[in-house]
Amino acid sequence: MPDDAALLRVTHLTKRYRLRTVSAGPDHLEAVSDISFEVRAGECFGLLGPNGAGKSTTIHCISGFYPPTSGAVTIGGFDVSREPRRARQLLGICSQEDTLDTDFAVRDQLVRYGRFFRIGKPDSRRRADALLTRFGLDEKAEAPIESLSGGMRRRLQVARSLISDPRLLVLDEPTTGLDPEVRRVVWQVLAERRAAGTGMLLSTHYMEEAERLCDRVAILHGGRILDIAPPGELVARHVGNQEVAEEVRPGVVWRRPPNLEDVYLKLTGTPLEGRDRD
Amino acid sequence: MIDALWGVRCVVGRYFDVFTRGIVYYLVTTFLEPILYLLSFGLGVGSLVGNLHVAGHEVSYRAFIFSGVIAQTVLFQGFMEASYGAFVRMYYQKVYQAIALTPVTMSEVLWGELIWDTAKATSASLVVALIGVVTGDFPPLALLTLIPLCFASSLLFAGMGLAAAALARSIEQLSYPQYLLVFPMFLFCGVFYPIDALPAPLRAVAWVLPLTSVTSLARWLTLGLPFEPMAIPILLAWMVALVLLARRAMLRRLIK
Repeated sequence: MPDDAALLRVTHLTKRYRLRTVSAGPDHLEAVSDISFEVRAGECFGLLGPNGAGKSTTIHCISGFYPPTSGAVTIGGFDVSREPRRARQLLGICSQEDTLDTDFAVRDQLVRYGRFFRIGKPDSRRRADALLTRFGLDEKAEAPIESLSGGMRRRLQVARSLISDPRLLVLDEPTTGLDPEVRRVVWQVLAERRAAGTGMLLSTHYMEEAERLCDRVAILHGGRILDIAPPGELVARHVGNQEVAEEVRPGVVWRRPPNLEDVYLKLTGTPLEGRDRD
Repeated sequence: MIDALWGVRCVVGRYFDVFTRGIVYYLVTTFLEPILYLLSFGLGVGSLVGNLHVAGHEVSYRAFIFSGVIAQTVLFQGFMEASYGAFVRMYYQKVYQAIALTPVTMSEVLWGELIWDTAKATSASLVVALIGVVTGDFPPLALLTLIPLCFASSLLFAGMGLAAAALARSIEQLSYPQYLLVFPMFLFCGVFYPIDALPAPLRAVAWVLPLTSVTSLARWLTLGLPFEPMAIPILLAWMVALVLLARRAMLRRLIK
């Protein structure tokens, strides 16, 4: 595919944070070091990596929320630092943290958010109702945010990121805390959007989710991209096609085909669970 | 520029929507407090004190207090909404962070915050002025001449509150500016008595604090007390400095 088809282009992105210095030691932390990748229309691109690998920093730079230390990010050809409004007009983001506006009930939340994208009120209402139906939140349309369960809040936040019908959708751990049934609904909505040409950047901890949704995956570790390829290719390249034997509890060994998790563990050298956030 | 104005307007629209959803809450928290001060000090203390002689003028204590409460309202309403209110929006609700991922920028979010806080404090203080006009303590024209003063001083204290919210690590830390700046100004900057009654060093300190300029200008506009020219540069200098500090500190806190 020609380079011009890239919806999102991240070029040699480096991000350093300044630290509150205590006399000695470095005065900055390099969270992302010289990473480059692109996401094409209709493609789902996965960012995998342990906590602290630089996923959230990358996403903050893509949204233009944090200015890059060096390198550039463009969305639909618009540089997010120089033309943030035009770039973000094309962008829908579901952040990892809960940023729902608790001063508004469920439907008003979506309608109000649409207004920030210059969507007229009647249109914004129509879109909000369609999203609530799609995400099974119809009955909660008038409910205050505080009355929603954690999973409902997460769903609503994914729905909110779709209110502007974005050409590029960035999802930071979108299905954390969702039960399998609801997760499938979210996956299905994402698949529909993708079929309609929306490009997606997905940051996730769920290897199954990455394998299922992503056309290509980047393994991020220590702020650097270790490899980028379709999931199957990554598996073939890094762990081969030999069955993996795994002792799941003392004396019980499961044999299974190799998967993305094996690649992940091999490349990052760390298990997924039990790591603290930086 | 047009885009930026649209963004700010959109943010103010969000605040206005919240306002209309909780109108009773807003009426109580915005207007009840100054009205209580007016009743308590204007009628209660006013009936004991009678008339005051200030700079060669004789004014009723009630009228004196009414114009002082204009300044007090601007101070409390501007500071509280921009400090505690903004801290909750920024730290707990993450309203700023959510809006700044849309085509509206963080800079516009902060202007919207300041403009809303300013509008709220300005309107509350003008309600006090309206009461003073109705009771015959102020000339009707004061309602117009007070608008620029109330707006500028509301922006000043909104800037102070937002700067405090930007610099506070936790919501408890907002008590520091509240007890070290807001309450001393409330008590020493001429809301309840002419600051000429204070010893000279304390009077000098009172003049450095921004509220003294506000009470002085308010009494000039409402009661015809002498105009103090230095009040205007003091007020404007504080206003510009605090608004710049608030924006700078907030952007530095949120954008890494």
